[in-house]
Amino acid sequence: MIRPLVALTLAALAALPAQAADRVVSLGGAVTEIVAALGEADRLVARDTTSSWPEAVTALPDVGYVRRLSAEGVLSVAPDLILAEEGAGPPEAVDLLKSAAIPFVVVPDGYDRDAVAAKIEAVAGALDVPEKGAALAAEVGRALDAAAAEAAEGPARRVLFVLSVQGGRLLASGRGTAADGIIRLAGGVNAVDAFEGYKPLTDEAVAQAAPEVILMMAREGAEDLAAEVLALPAVRTTPAAASGALVSMDGLYLLGFGPRTAQAVRDLSDALDRAGS
Amino acid sequence: MLEATDITVRLGRREILTGVDFRAQPGQITAIVGPNGSGKTTLLRALTGELSHDGRIRLNHHDPASLRPWVLAGLRGVLPQATPMAFPFTAAEVVRLGLMGGIEAAEPDLVPKALARVGLAGFEPRPYQELSGGEQQRVQLARVLAQVWHPTAHGQPRWLFLDEPVSALDIGHQLQVMRIVRDFADAGGGIVAVMHDLNLTAMFADSVALMAGGRLMEQGPPATVLRDDLLSRAYLCPLRVNALPVNGPYLLPQASGPIAAE
Amino acid sequence: MVALLHEVSGPAPHWDRTPRAWRLTVLLVLALAVMSAASLAVGAAGTSPWAVLADIMAGREVALADRVVLFEIRLPRLAMGALVGAALAVSGAVMQGLFRNPLADPGLVGVSAGAGLGAISAIVLGGLLPAGIAGALGYHLVPVAAFAGGWATTLVLYGIATRRGQTSVATMLLGGIALGALAGALSGILVYMADDAQLRDLTFWGLGSLAGATWTKLAAAAPLMILALVAAPMLGRGLNGLSLGEAAAAHVGIPVQRLKTVAILTVAGATGAAVAVSGGIGFVGIVVPHLLRLATGPDHRPLLVNAALLGAALLIGADMIARSLIAPAELPIGIVTAILGGPVFLWILLRRRGLLGF
Repeated sequence: MIRPLVALTLAALAALPAQAADRVVSLGGAVTEIVAALGEADRLVARDTTSSWPEAVTALPDVGYVRRLSAEGVLSVAPDLILAEEGAGPPEAVDLLKSAAIPFVVVPDGYDRDAVAAKIEAVAGALDVPEKGAALAAEVGRALDAAAAEAAEGPARRVLFVLSVQGGRLLASGRGTAADGIIRLAGGVNAVDAFEGYKPLTDEAVAQAAPEVILMMAREGAEDLAAEVLALPAVRTTPAAASGALVSMDGLYLLGFGPRTAQAVRDLSDALDRAGS
Repeated sequence: MLEATDITVRLGRREILTGVDFRAQPGQITAIVGPNGSGKTTLLRALTGELSHDGRIRLNHHDPASLRPWVLAGLRGVLPQATPMAFPFTAAEVVRLGLMGGIEAAEPDLVPKALARVGLAGFEPRPYQELSGGEQQRVQLARVLAQVWHPTAHGQPRWLFLDEPVSALDIGHQLQVMRIVRDFADAGGGIVAVMHDLNLTAMFADSVALMAGGRLMEQGPPATVLRDDLLSRAYLCPLRVNALPVNGPYLLPQASGPIAAE
Repeated sequence: MVALLHEVSGPAPHWDRTPRAWRLTVLLVLALAVMSAASLAVGAAGTSPWAVLADIMAGREVALADRVVLFEIRLPRLAMGALVGAALAVSGAVMQGLFRNPLADPGLVGVSAGAGLGAISAIVLGGLLPAGIAGALGYHLVPVAAFAGGWATTLVLYGIATRRGQTSVATMLLGGIALGALAGALSGILVYMADDAQLRDLTFWGLGSLAGATWTKLAAAAPLMILALVAAPMLGRGLNGLSLGEAAAAHVGIPVQRLKTVAILTVAGATGAAVAVSGGIGFVGIVVPHLLRLATGPDHRPLLVNAALLGAALLIGADMIARSLIAPAELPIGIVTAILGGPVFLWILLRRRGLLGF
């Protein structure tokens, strides 16, 4: 709980001097979404690779993957504010950006309702539009509460989130991940709670987890992949395979924990209800 | 003067050279002969310091093992049986490797001289790896010659250790190389050569060391060592010296004319 | 052309390629200077070094962003690129001479595998360190661990391969394969333990980059690389002799064991430092010495000097491509060197086949 506070303080400090920044670089998909939802997208001059929504921001220059930034690349768009999700780096590049006296605001991460609100307020604070931020945070909070309450009424499905299937090996999500958070909000139960983070699962562990639904990120050729995943020996014995219950959703939409998350919770909850029946 | 006393070499637990006493004089060609596996090359490698051994070796009164590599290199050159080169050097560059230290380093025109000496004048820019086996062997000989170009230095004899120097050569070049070796000895240098060909040995050597089973059987002038009984015992087959075959042609290097010896 | 160069050089015999190689040195110094100037002038930001220079001369104030771009980003990066390129190319040339194999690379003495293991350990386990240590090293933890890993592996390998004062190059080669497999397995365990973000970091580390070049890092890594670059040309004579084989090299007066020890330590230090600060940058160590041997022959005395110059110039060039191709983002430089170096390497192999008939 300390980190969000620090970030907020930083954001406040950064926003204090002179007039509000109007050349903003946004690093991180959810951060960019929040900027757009605040109606401040026209202040953006560049984004990172993971910022793919709303569509309009993809026209902005891309400064690369958020953990592998090029200091000169970011400087080249002459920003006067950098908004970054937690984990933006490498630290050398961040240090260089700070040494160029460009405010660098780290937006705290988190995978629940309060975290989304905190993110929104941090971004709004840095952009010097705290009223807009408070309003959006309240609105998103209410929507999330409503969506979560609704989702809780349905049956609690056991959901296995699969990050990737490489060579037939499932990389599954344990506790403390965005996937775990969204499954919880959507009224489901994470089928894997034996570890934290994303780890490969053995075939037997998959059977043991007995997921009713498999959840994946949508990408090109997702339909072929769905059939392939359900046909894997490890997955074939699960209830999910028996009912053909595989849900795939856009990664940023599903795991971003931004302004669209309430809608994502509803979509996922609906999909889980449908898939399990 | 080269004196080796009670040289024993072990490879693992096996003794492949046992108590060899060996002498070589400057101004002479000393040949080491014997059947395959008798320890000829092992003895040569012990003499050059390549193999660790028991016993005592004195080269011009120095223990070779105690000399700095570059000092030792100025005292003697060593020609292995074959020398594959790792990189695409030219013939001249290979010969130049012999000039790395010592008094010859200051004589850059030694490279063409040494190549000409072994009958490879004009071969300077030829890639070593594209030469025939015999040509490669002579390039290496040129390299070793360049290393100890002057058979004596500071009043001391210098030495050539040669492992089958003529094995890859045709008879003309065999005679040519043996003549070079002879000249080196005549000018005061010392030669120790492992020889396969008993005829060439008989023709050129001043002293012959006959090896068998890792031991030195006999060392002395060719006439006293190259005898029916000793050779037959060493090579484990009946051999007769100075006997003519009953039929069919035969060719002896001893009978070559002055042109081939040129 | 050759005849012309010949006239300039005076009485060197026609077969002697070495003076030509030294003339190439002059050209390479010029090329490195041009590359360096270009590297300072090229970048995502529009900063012009000449404008900044003019401002400084005229006593005008330089904008902070320009100052950071030029003096904190491009300049340390240029120096790091030059040093890493030179260190990798020279290490490659020394390894090839030592192993008498034109395809050898510094990886053979275990540096790369050990450095990789060190880097992965730092990325994955760095969070478990006592706060004191982690705090003192800060984000230098990964390079320090990579260097320690590479250096330690080489020392272990050297120890394994050295009996009674004699280092067996063949044992080093085989031991390197075994240690490489072991390091790979340990890395695999750590990869298993890594979380998603750490996996990304690992991937990017393996692809190599000069993006992290800072004066601090440079100050830590440069001395070892410079030491190696200064020491390497002194190995030239010995490596020439070694191309005859170890025994014959000793017979022409090379202190072979000392040569091997110095060569291995030089390579471990230079490569370890280079890999630590830049991650995995492939092909420089193999392609650069090869091109030079094709151009001016295998004499190691000029080769080691020219390899340093060409390696530096090439890596600076590759970094320019990495920085500008998808600006304002940048490519990992390892991708650029692999894309450039892979085909060149294949071409060399095919040429070799044709030349030597195997």
